[in-house]
Amino acid sequence: MTNSSAVETGDAVISIRGVSMSYGARRVLDRVDLDVCRGEILVLLGGSGSGKSTLLKHVLGLAKPDTGSITIDGVDITCCSPSELGAVRRRIGVAFQAAALFNSLSVEENVALPLRELTRLADSTIELMVWMKLIAVGLSEAGSLYPPELSGGMRKRAAVARAMALDPEILILDEPSAGLDPIVSAGLDELILFLKRSFGITILVVTHELESAFRIADRVAMLYQGRLIAVDRKEQFVRNAHPRIRQFLDRQPDAPPGVAAEEFIASYLRGSKDDN
Amino acid sequence: MTFLEQVGQAAIVQVEDAGALTLQFLSVLRKLPRVLPIVGARRRWRSAVEQMLAIGASALPMAGIMSLCTGFILALQSASELRRFGALEFVVDLVAIGFTRELGPLITALSVSGRSASAISAEIGTMVVTEEIDALRVMGLDPVEFTLAPKYLAALITLPCLTVLSTLCGIFAGYLFLAFSMDMSVRIYFQAVAEAILLRDVAFMLVKSLVFATIIVHVGCLEGLRVRGGPEAVGHSTTAAVVKSTFLVILADLVGTAIFYFMGWSSLG
Repeated sequence: MTNSSAVETGDAVISIRGVSMSYGARRVLDRVDLDVCRGEILVLLGGSGSGKSTLLKHVLGLAKPDTGSITIDGVDITCCSPSELGAVRRRIGVAFQAAALFNSLSVEENVALPLRELTRLADSTIELMVWMKLIAVGLSEAGSLYPPELSGGMRKRAAVARAMALDPEILILDEPSAGLDPIVSAGLDELILFLKRSFGITILVVTHELESAFRIADRVAMLYQGRLIAVDRKEQFVRNAHPRIRQFLDRQPDAPPGVAAEEFIASYLRGSKDDN
Repeated sequence: MTFLEQVGQAAIVQVEDAGALTLQFLSVLRKLPRVLPIVGARRRWRSAVEQMLAIGASALPMAGIMSLCTGFILALQSASELRRFGALEFVVDLVAIGFTRELGPLITALSVSGRSASAISAEIGTMVVTEEIDALRVMGLDPVEFTLAPKYLAALITLPCLTVLSTLCGIFAGYLFLAFSMDMSVRIYFQAVAEAILLRDVAFMLVKSLVFATIIVHVGCLEGLRVRGGPEAVGHSTTAAVVKSTFLVILADLVGTAIFYFMGWSSLG
């Protein structure tokens, strides 16, 4: 693993050490070591089933690893008390893959929810803060709409606005551009860069969209079968010779094109036979 | 050996079920005061009121009509037998006692279990699938307090009210029958009803409805929280919620009624 040591020795906000995790006999995470440094955008790449969602759940304290430690701002969240975990979580904003907006609340109320529940701010202050977050994500017009009325891109933006509500030090984005058209997705990339520039927050992005990843990333990490096979500045990452990374970057299927299609159809047919 | 393993496996699953139910119940009980008006959080109370409208108020027409029909059926069926002994007046006692002790709470619970156990598990299951429950946890909000506790409170408040109203509907159906078949007046009918029902019958009815409310909301929430995977799992969970809550309601009814009977509370005087 070739790491740029300058960043590595920098101020790590999230530090993952030797994290392993298995579901039964299947190893989902295998001794993962990763640092996310203050003020950087780190993009975690990986194909489907590479363990990136599982790693994210661990970083958020929603799951506990079998072994290893995850330290956020000096607090080991794998063995701290619930109140310490709560304090750490208040410094993290999360935008989930499916946006996870509450459908019974309007966009404004969604963004206001953490402010109303976790602070003692006056209603007028909360309104102002919500309005500022909505302007920052470009949704100032849509505040009174409800989540089902929003388009996919607007929903992702609203999720980012809610994640930003408590002015977090760390922003975690799970597949921000999945399922969005290139224009909306590019807009979201600009939003992420804007948030980093203007608020100096640390951003961890989990994605498999290459273009977006290389647009926003300072550093790129890649998970493959639960192992971290590379962490590097993006300029070096694109030159990495690991066969799986080459395959990922060059968009090559596992088998030669014709064979891959046949195998895919065969496995599809097997799958549908199993269902019946 | 394999048979033994199967039995053991099934037993473990059942015990795990029971354990999960108990744990969830305790954590909700601890959070329930937060939902109460005045002493709790204002916004929780508001969402509890919304739940009361969904679980209680909108179930009223269905529960009422079901009780009205059942009351009429009960009166018809019993009248055909009682008429042979010239004891048609006893239809009053049968309907009044039958509804207060048994059919009122049961029919209400069954209609609410069909409507709300499925709705609750679908709502919570969807929240699990779309990561809303995770989002609450990560925001530092307790999903138990935020989504579960208001539903429990709503069910515990509305189900006894619904039960009283639907029992009245059932008893009123008995009046309709007797008014048509033997021109009984309203005053005489309801006097006879008041004489037939004891205070402990009403108390038993209310206790039953509280137990049924707990079962319905509890099973609905647990099945919802257990959803893993995609949207199709939500469908399975709603079915499981209705089946399990209906079954448990009837089982609890049997146990409660048996206790009532063997303690000698059911005999008149």
